[in-house]
Amino acid sequence: MSYARRHGLKPLGAGIGLRREFYARLPETSRALDWVEIIPENFLTLGGRPRRALDACVERWPVLPHGVALNIGGPEPLAEDYLSGLKALVERVDAPFFSDHLCYSRLRGAYLHDLLPLPFSEEAVEHVVPRVREVQERVGRPFLLENPSYYALMPGGTLDEAAFLRHVAEEADCGLLLDVNNVYVNARNHGYDPRAFVDALPLERVVQIHLAGHEQQPDVIIDTHGAPVCDEVWSLYRYVLERTGPVSTLLEWDQDIPSLEAVLDEADRARAVLAEVESR
Amino acid sequence: MKPGLRGFFDSMEQYLTRQEPDALERLYTAHPGWDAPRSRVALYGRMVRHHVTSTLEKLYPLTRAGVDAARWAELVRAYEASSPSRSFEMNHLGEGFPGFLADEAARRGLPDFLPALARFEWTDFAVYTSLEPVPERVERLTVNPTLAVLEHPFQLCAYVRRQGRGQPEAGQEMALLWRHPERLVTMFLAANDRSLLAVKMALEGLTPSQVSAATGVAEADIRAAVESCVADGLVLSP
Repeated sequence: MSYARRHGLKPLGAGIGLRREFYARLPETSRALDWVEIIPENFLTLGGRPRRALDACVERWPVLPHGVALNIGGPEPLAEDYLSGLKALVERVDAPFFSDHLCYSRLRGAYLHDLLPLPFSEEAVEHVVPRVREVQERVGRPFLLENPSYYALMPGGTLDEAAFLRHVAEEADCGLLLDVNNVYVNARNHGYDPRAFVDALPLERVVQIHLAGHEQQPDVIIDTHGAPVCDEVWSLYRYVLERTGPVSTLLEWDQDIPSLEAVLDEADRARAVLAEVESR
Repeated sequence: MKPGLRGFFDSMEQYLTRQEPDALERLYTAHPGWDAPRSRVALYGRMVRHHVTSTLEKLYPLTRAGVDAARWAELVRAYEASSPSRSFEMNHLGEGFPGFLADEAARRGLPDFLPALARFEWTDFAVYTSLEPVPERVERLTVNPTLAVLEHPFQLCAYVRRQGRGQPEAGQEMALLWRHPERLVTMFLAANDRSLLAVKMALEGLTPSQVSAATGVAEADIRAAVESCVADGLVLSP
């Protein structure tokens, strides 16, 4: 049985992120939108406009927190203040599930504010799994880990990326947030077949998908979330959905943010693909 | 945690949080046989540093404009080295910057107004995002709970209002900054008789007639002063 079914989670449709640029307009939009994702760090310590926008969104849509600072792979104990704030926020917005990245972001007490890749190793699996369990236990709602983008394989790796994700997800019994753009970016940067990678994942654990744009530099693709989703990523998205069925999908846009309408247009496109898959 | 993973984190900590020129080579030395392209690994160092730079630029646009580009870059570098980010919220990595400038101003020959200006800009952000609950209704005249008061020997309110053109004039100033309860933007002004009267009346529960009787100022003028401060959100009225 899939992770979503075990936890009574239904596909929510197509959503976009509540970003600062949209605080005023998103809660008022008359466009179709199925759910909204928030970066909890933006709402745990910030009142005023962020808080008002969040409250307005909660009135209209399901809201899903997607964190960047949990530091699930880091060497230090999980930060107590962050975890208790996250739990309160998840409960406040009544999120059916929440997510963060399979990475580390804090070293020796210093937040690095980046999603830094772990070595793909059994040691790292052994380190992360109890931390994921702790998060699930403490927050008390289904938890998803996202496959991050990475530009270099870290030293000490003994597993391939898909096996690493599989071990963590299965041993910790958590869900997966499959960032399809990250799959594409990683596949291009490291020279592997993105479809074979998808096939090697425990797709029954995928509860959410991210779609985003990236930036092609001469010798590397950077996961910028600052451009429209490219055709190859749309195609890979279809490939995933054909294997998973409809999955809650987020259009992620964090840099060079265009108009709200442009982001919603991309969400409409994802919704159309979801409907097409569902109708088959 | 097993020693291999511990060693990985230790080496990454050395690389990502120290700024020695040979940091990347030392990282590779710690992992013999690691063949990841150096240009790719270097991206991480640049990205971590970029978060500090871009956040400080966003929080302190006028402070940044107060020095030339090379000096700004050096200030950012020195601040990052001395003040690791202790908050999961990225903007808060800039919280200690005004204090850092105050400590460094004399030694580095910074413009004398720079630390106070940075403190003003941080307070602008802190007030804007304050978690202080602002009541929707009040029983009596009440000071806006987001109000922050700064004192400095420069006319910074006028300087900020003209977007940092020229130099701030010298002269003691008490700056009031608060978040407008409906518009949710930071408001600020150099404290004057009108604003201080409204704050005093709110704090001490004084009515316009009491103030009029005590000061001889027409009650209508006092009411007008209070209403103006209520409209600006400095004080909240029933």
